[in-house]
Amino acid sequence: MIPILKLPERSLRAVAVATACILGAAGAALADDEIMAAPEFDAGDRRGGLLDEIVFATEPDVGKVAGLIEDGSYQLFAQGITNQTIFQRIRESERIEHDLSYGSSVELTFNPSGPEFESGELNPFNIPEIREAMNWLVDRRHIAEEIYGGLARPRYMVVGTATPDYAALAGEAREIELRYQPDRRRAEEVIGREMEALGAEKRGGRWHYEGAPVTLRVLIRNDDIRRQVGDYVANRLEDIGFAVERMYRDAEESSRIWIGGDPEAGQWHVYTGSWVSTVVSRDTATNFDFYYTPRGRAEPLWQAYDPAPEFDEISERLSRGDYGDLEERAEMMARALDLSMRDSTRVWLVDQIQVGPRSADLGVSVDLAGGVRGSQLWPLTVHRGDAPGGEARFAMPSVLTEPWNPVAGTNWLFDRMVVRAIEDSAFMPDPFTGLYRPQRIAEAELTVETGAPVSRTLDWLTLEQEDEIAVPDDAWIAWDESAGRFLSVEEAGEDGLTARTRSRIVFEDDYFDRRWHDGTTVSPADMLISYALTFSRADPDSPIFDPGHVPAFESFERHFRGLRILSTDPLTVEVYSDQITPDAETIVARRAPGTLPWHVMALAIKAEEDGELAFSSDQADRLGAEWLSLVSGPSMSVLDRMRERAVEQEHLPFPELLGEHVDAEEIAARYDAIAQWRSERGHYQIGDGPYYLHSVYPVQGALVLRHFADFPDRADKWLDFTQPPIPALELDGPMMVAEGEDARFDIAVTSGGAPYPAEDIEAAEFLLFDGDGALMERGTAESRGDGHWEVVLSAEDVAALGRGANSLEVVVTSRHVAMPVFASFAFSTVPEGTQKLQ
Amino acid sequence: MAEMTGQDRAGERAPAPRGWLRDAQLVGAFVLRRVFALMVTVLIGVYLTIVVANMGGQVDELREIQIRSDVSEAVRADPEIPAEERGEMVERRVQMERERLNLDQPFILRSVDYLRRAMLLDLGRAEQMHSDLGSRQVYAIITERLPATILLFGTANMLVFFASIFAALGLSRRYGSLTDRTVIGLAPSSAAPGWFYGIFLILVFAFIVPILPAGGMVAVPPPESPWAYALSVMRHMVLPVAAMFISSIFISIYSWRTFFLIHSSEDYVEMARAKGLPSGMIERRYILRPTLPPIITSFLLMLIGLWSGAIILEQVFNWPGLGTLLFQAIGHRDTPVIIGGVVIFAYLLALTVFLLDFLYAILDPRVRVGFEGGER
Repeated sequence: MIPILKLPERSLRAVAVATACILGAAGAALADDEIMAAPEFDAGDRRGGLLDEIVFATEPDVGKVAGLIEDGSYQLFAQGITNQTIFQRIRESERIEHDLSYGSSVELTFNPSGPEFESGELNPFNIPEIREAMNWLVDRRHIAEEIYGGLARPRYMVVGTATPDYAALAGEAREIELRYQPDRRRAEEVIGREMEALGAEKRGGRWHYEGAPVTLRVLIRNDDIRRQVGDYVANRLEDIGFAVERMYRDAEESSRIWIGGDPEAGQWHVYTGSWVSTVVSRDTATNFDFYYTPRGRAEPLWQAYDPAPEFDEISERLSRGDYGDLEERAEMMARALDLSMRDSTRVWLVDQIQVGPRSADLGVSVDLAGGVRGSQLWPLTVHRGDAPGGEARFAMPSVLTEPWNPVAGTNWLFDRMVVRAIEDSAFMPDPFTGLYRPQRIAEAELTVETGAPVSRTLDWLTLEQEDEIAVPDDAWIAWDESAGRFLSVEEAGEDGLTARTRSRIVFEDDYFDRRWHDGTTVSPADMLISYALTFSRADPDSPIFDPGHVPAFESFERHFRGLRILSTDPLTVEVYSDQITPDAETIVARRAPGTLPWHVMALAIKAEEDGELAFSSDQADRLGAEWLSLVSGPSMSVLDRMRERAVEQEHLPFPELLGEHVDAEEIAARYDAIAQWRSERGHYQIGDGPYYLHSVYPVQGALVLRHFADFPDRADKWLDFTQPPIPALELDGPMMVAEGEDARFDIAVTSGGAPYPAEDIEAAEFLLFDGDGALMERGTAESRGDGHWEVVLSAEDVAALGRGANSLEVVVTSRHVAMPVFASFAFSTVPEGTQKLQ
Repeated sequence: MAEMTGQDRAGERAPAPRGWLRDAQLVGAFVLRRVFALMVTVLIGVYLTIVVANMGGQVDELREIQIRSDVSEAVRADPEIPAEERGEMVERRVQMERERLNLDQPFILRSVDYLRRAMLLDLGRAEQMHSDLGSRQVYAIITERLPATILLFGTANMLVFFASIFAALGLSRRYGSLTDRTVIGLAPSSAAPGWFYGIFLILVFAFIVPILPAGGMVAVPPPESPWAYALSVMRHMVLPVAAMFISSIFISIYSWRTFFLIHSSEDYVEMARAKGLPSGMIERRYILRPTLPPIITSFLLMLIGLWSGAIILEQVFNWPGLGTLLFQAIGHRDTPVIIGGVVIFAYLLALTVFLLDFLYAILDPRVRVGFEGGER
């Protein structure tokens, strides 16, 4: 039986957030004035984007950010800021607001080889217990508050603190976090014991091995704040008797040592590592396999990993999705978390917080992990003031970094950010949970094979199970390049084919009434050409065969089990696949077809056939041609020539496939429209998104987007996602509890000062610790109405604590934000009859 | 100059033909030798650049690591690729990238190929970078940034050059005056580079008294009318030009003034003064004319010096110039772009040196090729 969670839809509007609360202890540096209020906004009957014009310009100097926003030169900086001085300046300004994102993390990578290197030197970090003890030696709160100045929050585990998995495992996570609180004495004790077992001895307070001092080489990145982190760790190691050699290196120099070098050579012991994520990661189950086992990467360091057999097995199973249901997955995750802490080839230190500055009158949806640059919804939510219209200027470190084309064009973060405003999408990832929500979908039905560990959270789709999912004979499965069409399962001789999932997706009624920016109407041909390109570019017989596309295609082909178009009015497709992810929403969203303007693609295909342009960078190098850019540069004149030829020949690409949906009249109309567009706008970049590319200034590093009036949706459709409704907690109760009495603790859960609706709380758990830090009780808080929860400890629970100081930890997880919040309360248990403090 | 005088000895070894034929032979031989010497110099310079830019081939190792890291992260970030297939996918992509960058060939072979193409001015394709317009041709990448560089640095350097020449000439006549002492006193201000003054100028004129833009080449979005565009560019040039001007002008005046002072005390200048010739004529004919070769040399070297731009100043003012481009190329270890920038500079320098040899002969009647008796 698959556990299916249903989440009621509700408005998130007007929910505010006290950021300080979500940061817990690490966030103490962020004051209570960090409250971000969602706008009261009247979009009227406006469609599409809320702004009339958005200008992007290059401004790589973050040092100017405050001044440029204050003087009105820019309204938003897309680059995340981690500099404390700049952040302070931003906070002091009344004209500047900011958003926070949590996509990057810092950890200590240990060299696990040994216990002796090839040189005969001792490597204490070969011993898991010593690595584990490092968790007690470092004070993550100190790192977050003092070194990062509050722009970081402590992180203990491989699962990031802003992920759904962390939220789901909040109770277990908190337990681990409390278990690994800084404790130098314990660290010294464990390390001392293990060092002696290795044959080392401590003389004069310094560790010696075979007569020589034990010297640890700490490889410290010197090109960012990790320099201070490395120094801090080095100091801590010196404090407990190690000699430390600090090796300050930049990214390149250090990579030759820690990732390129042989760990057995003993060039380093500890490295200050960092990892970046630009989207909320929905599934972190693969992290264990990646970070702790030789399967993670082929480099020598990974090959030196030797996880405990149980950890190795559980990591691999999690990576393969080898679990019966989500309950089992959660159990495995909890166990893996525990084992990863015992392994500790990496000791995670902090999740770094990036600040996204913007002018106070500008509102925008910001991704919890990727900031505004990673947000899919930014174009549909960005607005100024309290009415639609107006202009905004965005500063970015680079504009048009690489050529734009929708097939294999730029993948740069900031290029993609702009492109998201130009292109529409069938689904939008929730910026606070990463869960997909429908944008062009009327309904969807996912069928998975019985026992597949998949769950549904939102109610825009249904989830069913079948013992066997047969792929129909008429579903397309392969590509016939010579015929220029797909082969059905029957034609390909794959009768009896089955799949693990079937996604039946029904698009909105007016899906094919929408317009491209050049005024032409979106048609089924635009959808089909997308599939055709995927297959044709991987076919060696194709004139646009691209060997660089083959590996990705083969991976797709391995799980692709067929496609069936059931109807084009409304567009209804069935996609069969063997790929499974835990979220039903993700499976359906990844299977949904996209659209490409076939008339623009036709020109690009002709250009690649002629060897003048290429969709991908690899292919361009192979052909000695230019990488296709629909925006500017040498591609323009080539596309012009291709367009003239296409008009003459009434060219339709893949006529066997597209001919059914395109007549001669439409061919002419499409080429006329794109010619007109090119003469007016100077480029070929068209899309179906809420903004169109009005003008491009590549050398000057600027481009201008303007409002696309024909976009079908109301402009305020996604406005509720402007601010993350992160709960704020207040925990209160008696400071003294007498033995033999029960105790009640109140939890106030609010957002922007308003009570947090009870049905929007996924979980409210408590953990009870005695004076020795031992976990005595774990349970669930009880709801007492919106914004009010209660923890009740029975007289037996209280008695079990014994006399002395105790601690109650509360973990609350919202359904709308993949980030749990914590609160703690200290109280004492006293003998009966003691006069109590109030 | 020294090379030219060396040619004289050639005439001593064999009786030289007479008249124009003899002159043509001498000049031809000189040109050939000079061109050969310069080409060898360029060749050595460019090859050294290739070797240094690749750290004698050690960059290959860094690239391999970088490629593997980039590919691994890209594959891991792709949710469509199952975990169990990632290893194989990474290996295939790494291999393709190695082949694309010819990393499967020994560095020595690649270096010779780089050199051959560079000497033929076949700048080829960049390995990582693109022009702003999206081209991978090194020629396009470099020439795209050239106008902005010439405009900014040409304007600033021309201003500094001519202003300092004329100010220096004037000061050389007023040696020891208050103005002269003031300029000498301000000369150390040039110890600070242009970008240093730029930061202050931005602070004052873009933020405290916001009358000029803090950076960029043109307003955002750029004006559509050509006049408004030109005006906007000029407005954006004010601060960087001022920064460069302030940082260079005093040391430049001081330098030229000292130079002119030395020449002002030559016997023939004193004689001219004693004859009572007007000071303007003395400046033009007796000081400026004989000092023209070094002035022209300085001017031409200043012009080709524009090629390298100014990395930090461009960064401070967010100016899309060649300095930033070459800096990025070094950061990307994009050897073709680095070589492209260097080889063009090397050819320009060689051409300038070559032209100067002839200009010296035109400007200074004492300079001649291969006359018997060793007259120069």
